Amino acid sequence: MTLHRGRGMSTIEYPTGMNQNGDPSQAWIKVKPDGRVDVFSGTADIGNGSKTIQSQIVAETIGVPYDWVTFDNSNTDSSPLCTGTFASRATFVAGNAVLKAAREVRGRILEIAGREMEIDPGDLELEDGSVSVVGTPARSMGVDEVAGAATFVHGELLTGDGAHLNPAAEIIDPETGEVDKPPHAAISYAACVAEVEVDDETGVVRVVKLTQAYDIGRAMNPTLLEGQIDGGAVMGLGFGLLEDSYPYYPANEHRGESMNTYHVPGMEGLPAVENVLIENPSTGGPYGAKGIGEMANNAQPAAIAIAIHDAVGVWVTEFPITPERLLAALDREAAGEDQPRREGKRVIYDEHLSVNTVATAKSWRP
Amino acid sequence: MDLVVNAVSHEVDSAPLTSLLEVLREELDITGPKAGCETGGCGACTVLIDGEPRRSCLTALCMAEGREVTTVEGLGTPEALSAVQQAFIHHYAAQCGFCTSGMIVASSAYVDRGGSPDTGAIQEALGGHYCRCTGYVKILDAVAAVARGDDADTMSTAASPTSSYVSIGGTGNGGGGAA
Ligand code: FES
Ligand code: FES
Repeated sequence: MTLHRGRGMSTIEYPTGMNQNGDPSQAWIKVKPDGRVDVFSGTADIGNGSKTIQSQIVAETIGVPYDWVTFDNSNTDSSPLCTGTFASRATFVAGNAVLKAAREVRGRILEIAGREMEIDPGDLELEDGSVSVVGTPARSMGVDEVAGAATFVHGELLTGDGAHLNPAAEIIDPETGEVDKPPHAAISYAACVAEVEVDDETGVVRVVKLTQAYDIGRAMNPTLLEGQIDGGAVMGLGFGLLEDSYPYYPANEHRGESMNTYHVPGMEGLPAVENVLIENPSTGGPYGAKGIGEMANNAQPAAIAIAIHDAVGVWVTEFPITPERLLAALDREAAGEDQPRREGKRVIYDEHLSVNTVATAKSWRP
Repeated sequence: MDLVVNAVSHEVDSAPLTSLLEVLREELDITGPKAGCETGGCGACTVLIDGEPRRSCLTALCMAEGREVTTVEGLGTPEALSAVQQAFIHHYAAQCGFCTSGMIVASSAYVDRGGSPDTGAIQEALGGHYCRCTGYVKILDAVAAVARGDDADTMSTAASPTSSYVSIGGTGNGGGGAA
C-alpha cells in the first residue's frame, strides 16, 4: 500500500437568481403605532438566514434598530409573493423587494415627521429610530412618536411596498443560447484547492485540506455567510466522495434511498478549511449583495477529482469517487483502457458577461 | 403504560413495541426529537434515557418504562435556556434546525459527563449525528465553548479550529448583472 498526495484546483462562476431571470419577489412593510416595523415577504427561510438578512436590510434602510423589525412569512397567502428560496436568489431578489419597500416607509416617516416638526422632510435625517433636523440634532423626534402621530393625529398608516424583477431573458439564438438581455441577476466567483491523500490499495481518498476563495459581493452578515460556506464545503466533500443520487436528475426517482445507503459526511475526519472572502459588490443587489447559497458546494468535487489525478495519475470520470470507482479506474488505466463518460448538461458560457465582470473584479485584488 | 418525559408522567396508549420517537411525537406531541431516518442512522431523534443519549427511533416504548426520558424541551425553558442551548444560539450552530435538537441533547450528555473541549473528542462523541447545513464547524465551536466553561455572555466567537476566514475587498463595482 502506498499513500499518494495530490493537489487540485477548480474555479466556478455562479449565477445569482433564476437562470434567465423572470423570478419576481414582492414585499410589504407597515409600521405599528409604537414605531415597530412588520415586514411581510413570502421568502421561506430554510436555514439560509433570509429572515435575518431581510430584517437587517429593512432596519438599515429605514434607520431603526434591528430588534424593532419583525419578519412575518408565516402565511404565503397573506404575504406578498416570493418565487422561492432557490437559485441563490433570496438575498438579492427578495432583498431588493424589501429594500424598495423600506425606502418608501422611510420616506413616509420623514413626511409625517416633517408635518409634525413643521419642516421640509428634505431637511430631516433618520437614524437609529430617531428623526432629527440636519445640522440641529437636538431637534429630534423618535420614530415611535412619529408613528403614534401618524396613527392618532393624522389618521394615516405608515406603509411601503416593493417588488423586484429582473425581466426574463429570451433566447434569440437556439444554436448558441444567446439571450436578448443579461440572463442573471449577478454572478459570483469562487476557487477551491483540494489536497488529498489517496490509498492505492483500498481506493480510499482522504481530503486533508480545502483552501477556498469566494467573491461574495457583500458580506451582509459575516457569521451567516460563514455558515453557508462551511456547510457548502462539507456538502461539496460529500458530492465528491460519498453522495450518489442515482438515477440522475431529471429521473423522478432521483433521490437517495435511505440514510443507510445515502452517505453524507459526518463530523469526523473532516479536512481543515481555509477561506478567503472577496467583497466585490454587485451593481444591482441590495448593498452590493450577491448569492452565495448554492455556489458554496460546487467547486470541491472537481478540485478533488483533479487532486486525485495529481496523486495517482487517473481521471475518475464519475462522482462520487468511491473506492470502488477509483480502483476500477486504476485497473483500466493499467490495462490501457478508456475511462467511462456520461453525457452532461450543456452549459452555455456567456463570454460577454463573464469577461466583463471578471475584468471589473480585477481592480479588487489587494 | 406510564412514561416519564421531562419529569412529567404520562399515561400512554401506544402498543409496547411502538418506537419511543413515534410515541413522543404522535401521541404526546413532543416534537423536539425529529424523525430523520427512523433507522438509527442520523441522530435527529436523540433523547436522554436516564441521562444517556439514545436514539428514540430504535427504542421501543416498553424499554423506556420506569426510566427518565429527557428531550430537548426538558433541558431548559425559553426564559432560562441551558448552557448548551445558549451556546448553540451564540455560535449560530443551527441553520435549518433539523439536526439541532438531537445535537443539543447529545452535546448536553457530553458536557455533563465532563467531556473535553478537544475537537477530536467532540467529533467522536457526536460522530453519529448528521448535519446537512452547517458543515459542523459552528456546532463544534458551541460544544467546545460549553466544555471550556465559557460564560454565556462572554463566549468568544474567535477563530474556529476547523475553518478559518480572512476577508479582502472594498467598495468597487463588480459582478454586473441587471439592476
Ligand atoms: S431518526 Fe433516529 S437516528 Fe435517524
Ligand atoms: S442545521 Fe440543518 S441539518 Fe443541521
